[in-house]
Amino acid sequence: MDDLEFRRRIYADPETTDSDLIAAANADEKKRSFWHEQKQMDKKLKQALKVEVPDDLASKLIWQQSADEFNRYKKRSRWYMAVAASVAFTIGISITMWNQGSVDLSGQALAHMQYAEVEEAHSLLPVDLNMVNAKLASFGASFSDMIEGIEVANYCHLNTVRSLHLIIDTPQGKMSVFVVPKDEHMELPSYFEDNRFHGESIKMRQANVIVVGDKRADLTEMKEAVAKRMQFTA
Amino acid sequence: MFARNKIDNTQVLSSMKAKHQRYEALVKAFHADIFRYAYWLVKDRSVAEDIVQETFLRAWRSLDALNDEKAAKAWLITILRRENARRFERKQLDVVDIDDVFIHDETQQADGDINQRELHRLLGGLSIEYREPLILQLLFGFSGEEIAAQLNLNKNTVMTRLFRARNQLKEAVEKQDENRGRING
Repeated sequence: MDDLEFRRRIYADPETTDSDLIAAANADEKKRSFWHEQKQMDKKLKQALKVEVPDDLASKLIWQQSADEFNRYKKRSRWYMAVAASVAFTIGISITMWNQGSVDLSGQALAHMQYAEVEEAHSLLPVDLNMVNAKLASFGASFSDMIEGIEVANYCHLNTVRSLHLIIDTPQGKMSVFVVPKDEHMELPSYFEDNRFHGESIKMRQANVIVVGDKRADLTEMKEAVAKRMQFTA
Repeated sequence: MFARNKIDNTQVLSSMKAKHQRYEALVKAFHADIFRYAYWLVKDRSVAEDIVQETFLRAWRSLDALNDEKAAKAWLITILRRENARRFERKQLDVVDIDDVFIHDETQQADGDINQRELHRLLGGLSIEYREPLILQLLFGFSGEEIAAQLNLNKNTVMTRLFRARNQLKEAVEKQDENRGRING
């Protein structure tokens, strides 16, 4: 092996264990000392490469990993919270919209009629003008005088609409009068019925009134009685 | 169902714990040499530290991709080189390299043997394509094949660069010795 080739290969890797290089070095004193010199040089180079490492580097690297994990966790949970919140929000809005779009009071009024016959006053106090007016006050209304035969005056909910349900005993059987607040979103047909009852509604200034009675009953008288007595404040 | 959740949670926790342990082992085993490698790439301690932090952060985030612990060193070096390239893309840093500025120091030149500081400067003075394979060889004990794979070069190119790197160092040292001889003589 010529000198140049030997040097090239030793320069490329002084730690080499190639047998032909070892053989060449054994055969030639000069090659041997060159190789030895190179190994010494490499030792010094390795020393020179070992620059001082910042003391706290390892702990910094571990710390930044925990911080990163925490931040990503936070980000992730924020993300989940945001999605959960908007889903909840959307559901809330949809339910509200859906309800607003489909409030049909006639069906609800008829449903209430089914158990109006067994309905009892929630209050033990006698149903008198004062009590009816006290309850009507929340609709901004009052009666000028009592309608004969009011047995029950209860607040009830027609769908989600709070209303006042008056059950009145009349010569034509029991009738119900629902006082409901005026609201654009409510559908209130002027006439409705099912197989037992029929009802009519009166649109008044600040509230709507629904009168429901037996199919054969004439509701006109009751409508007039209510309309005549209903007064609105302000 | 609750029992199963509990087991799943414990498994998640213990796999998290295992991941942490792996990461910490990786940091302990390699942070020093990875820092040195970064330093010799960029020749600036604080930039090197930034790159190392970026490197280990990325290593942590993709730790699941590291299947073979034996490949960890090469894997980290690959991440680091990518980080360094990215840094170059961001901005070409214009730093004054203290090692490139020749500092005339009488006391050092009076020393008989070539000293660490001079070697440091000479190593820093090598161009990057000679310096990088040499550092991989000396710092990590990589073979010619391993360096070739790491730097995406063929082995002959790597061997030639290693030869030239040492040859240049040797010539520089001899030149210094001559200078020293002239001054001393």
